[in-house]
Amino acid sequence: MIVGLSEYLTVAAVLFTIGVFGIFVNRRNIIVILMSIELILLAVNINLVAFSVYLHQVTGQIFAMFVLTVAAAEAAVGLAILVTFFRNRGDIAVDDASMMKG
Amino acid sequence: MHGVGVLGLQAIAFYLLSAVMLGSALLVISARNPVHSVLFLITSFFTAAGLFVLLGAEFLAMLLIVVYVGAVAVLFLFVVMMLDVDFGSLRTGFARYLPIGGVVAIVLLIEMAIVAGAVAKRGASAGATIAAPTDVTNAEAIGRVLYTDYIYFFQAAGIALLIAMIGAIVLTLRHRPGVKRQNIAAQVARTPAKGMAIVKVKTGEGISE
Amino acid sequence: MTSTSVLSLVMPELILAVGALALLVVGAFGGDKATRTVSIGSGLVLIAAAVASGMGPLGVAFNGGFVADQASAFSKVAIYLMSAVAILLGEPWLRRVGNARFEYPVLVLLAALGMGVMASAGDLISLYLGIELMSLATYVLAAFQRDDARSSEAGLKYFVLGALSSGLLLYGASLIYGFAGSTKFADIAAHVAGGAGQGLVFGIVFLICGLAFKVSAAPFHMWTPDVYEGAPTPVVAFLAAAPKLAAMVLFARAVSQGFPGATEQWSQVVQAIAVISMGVGALAGLVQKNLKRLLAYSSIGNIGYALLGIASGTEQGVQAMLVFMVLYMIDVTGLFACILAVNRQGRSMDSLADFAGLARERPGLALAVTGLCFSVMGIPPFSGFWAKYYVFKAAISAGLWQPAVFGLVASVVAAFYYLRIVKTIWLDPSPGVTDAPPLDAKGVAVAAALFSFPLVLPALALLDPLAKAAAAAFGLG
Repeated sequence: MIVGLSEYLTVAAVLFTIGVFGIFVNRRNIIVILMSIELILLAVNINLVAFSVYLHQVTGQIFAMFVLTVAAAEAAVGLAILVTFFRNRGDIAVDDASMMKG
Repeated sequence: MHGVGVLGLQAIAFYLLSAVMLGSALLVISARNPVHSVLFLITSFFTAAGLFVLLGAEFLAMLLIVVYVGAVAVLFLFVVMMLDVDFGSLRTGFARYLPIGGVVAIVLLIEMAIVAGAVAKRGASAGATIAAPTDVTNAEAIGRVLYTDYIYFFQAAGIALLIAMIGAIVLTLRHRPGVKRQNIAAQVARTPAKGMAIVKVKTGEGISE
Repeated sequence: MTSTSVLSLVMPELILAVGALALLVVGAFGGDKATRTVSIGSGLVLIAAAVASGMGPLGVAFNGGFVADQASAFSKVAIYLMSAVAILLGEPWLRRVGNARFEYPVLVLLAALGMGVMASAGDLISLYLGIELMSLATYVLAAFQRDDARSSEAGLKYFVLGALSSGLLLYGASLIYGFAGSTKFADIAAHVAGGAGQGLVFGIVFLICGLAFKVSAAPFHMWTPDVYEGAPTPVVAFLAAAPKLAAMVLFARAVSQGFPGATEQWSQVVQAIAVISMGVGALAGLVQKNLKRLLAYSSIGNIGYALLGIASGTEQGVQAMLVFMVLYMIDVTGLFACILAVNRQGRSMDSLADFAGLARERPGLALAVTGLCFSVMGIPPFSGFWAKYYVFKAAISAGLWQPAVFGLVASVVAAFYYLRIVKTIWLDPSPGVTDAPPLDAKGVAVAAALFSFPLVLPALALLDPLAKAAAAAFGLG
């Protein structure tokens, strides 16, 4: 029983799908949406690391490192915007009572 | 003796870690309480780090734990607890969006299955085996190229972190009037002559300024 | 390659990064009193970077991660100058609304740095990092009016959809890396030359979806109207111009240098996105009452025309896209400057009704709006006509008859809403007195209107060969 590349890709694909699914079903809860985005990025990282290992090069791991770094930066900015939004509205629901009509 | 070989152990670890990771990922998006969501997020990152170790990418595994579990997840937890939100009301849309979300998820999953199938059939462009361990450790291999071949990206990632820092400060830092702050320079510059006054008090008169 | 020659290649980015860091220190010590100084400094840094990219040497650095060619030089000059205009419009506006802070020009500088990285990206990693540098700065800029609920809502929506699109893009990038075995466009192209397999095609599709989000092409445009309406107007003027050009250049470079062997596949996807964008832009714009929202749909439609240039898959098509984007950027900045110039009792105006009867009060401004509207509509001899002429000519000579005809129909439909703006300005009764327009906004509006006609004619003579040389750098047929 050898675990091959396609097993890792399948796991990453399922994780990616869970992330996208999470965004669709939690449209009003921004915090869970942000966590779903983190799951998507984790799926990307699994892909990159698995490919990098099976391709015998280190590039994919370097790419994953930058994804990790930038994702941390993104989380910081996203949560900062969320905090300003909360201060203005006293709530974090975006979908209803939007001041702007979609 | 036909015990479980190294490969078998690896497979068991892979399936166990994957199952835990995907299970906790599902709980992230379906937990009622966002604090629980964050905790499940931490679990999935932790198990993903296990998968990385299994692949031989130890450095990235440690990074995942340090950066994600240590910083990002804690940031999430902090924000969840800081914002006093009635999370129950936020879940009203869950059932409503379930069908559309399900359709999207199934379509995506089928697409991904095709991709994984393509890999299984042809293999990615190189061999389908993990690189044999060499005398160069994973961290060393990354370190050799990170500051040379990839210096440009390294600097760009640094600027991205700077932008995040500026952004977070711009959006959330407030200097409220009336808040007393410590002025260290003024404190240090204080001399005994400026700091105290010796007053001779006559009996029964008290001090008047 | 010696390190000095590498440094001279990345000189524009170096100027921007060092300039931003230095100005940040000035701002941190000077506080908000230093805002004017930092703004002027940022403008100068951007102009210096534009000069450096226009005059600098060409070549490839950092193992193909950074490409300085005619295309990157052309687009960087335009991007940096438009960013300088964004500071010119933004700083006085923020001062007027009492939110003058030195971080604004610094963030614009850092966003411009990201756009420079995007325009020079020769690798999937620099593609991603460039996009993220730009996006992180623009998310913050969209939410910059932190006490305004609309601004923070705009920032939040922009962030969530932007982060999602980055995720899609990255997933595509990871598949491309895995199946091509490299992140460099040149290596990917060599691998794709033998035909793109299933995994690679999926990667390309995800990558294109992610990029389409960034240029706000339909069906990935959901964020655009809300962000345009909610974000501070000068920030929208910035978002609508330079980042779009940077993303389009990146789009063209990624598909033409990364996947020249799979032109068939990506051209079809891009055509579909272009047609949907033109349709959505034309139809949804008809019912809008808010001018910023209307311009959002207008931008979706216009990105459709620009994408038609890329979909042609020819050098002529890329040239058309570059000319189109430059002319469109100037028009749209002018229109937002007009919105900034109209205030009543110190309140800024952004609904269509607020512009009623502007012609009697501010005939100069009304003429500028009219000229810019005619230009975006595509009426000769205004600049917008020439922009569309280039795109349609390229599309037809590449054999894309149906999308081109669809685009013509869409631009006729879209003409209705521009005409409605013109009618409101000239014929409807005014609801009240407008304040004296601020000099900066009025200046930019009038300059843009003058560019749209008659300055566009000599400018085109200059722009045409430059865009041609730039497009040739992509190595398409």
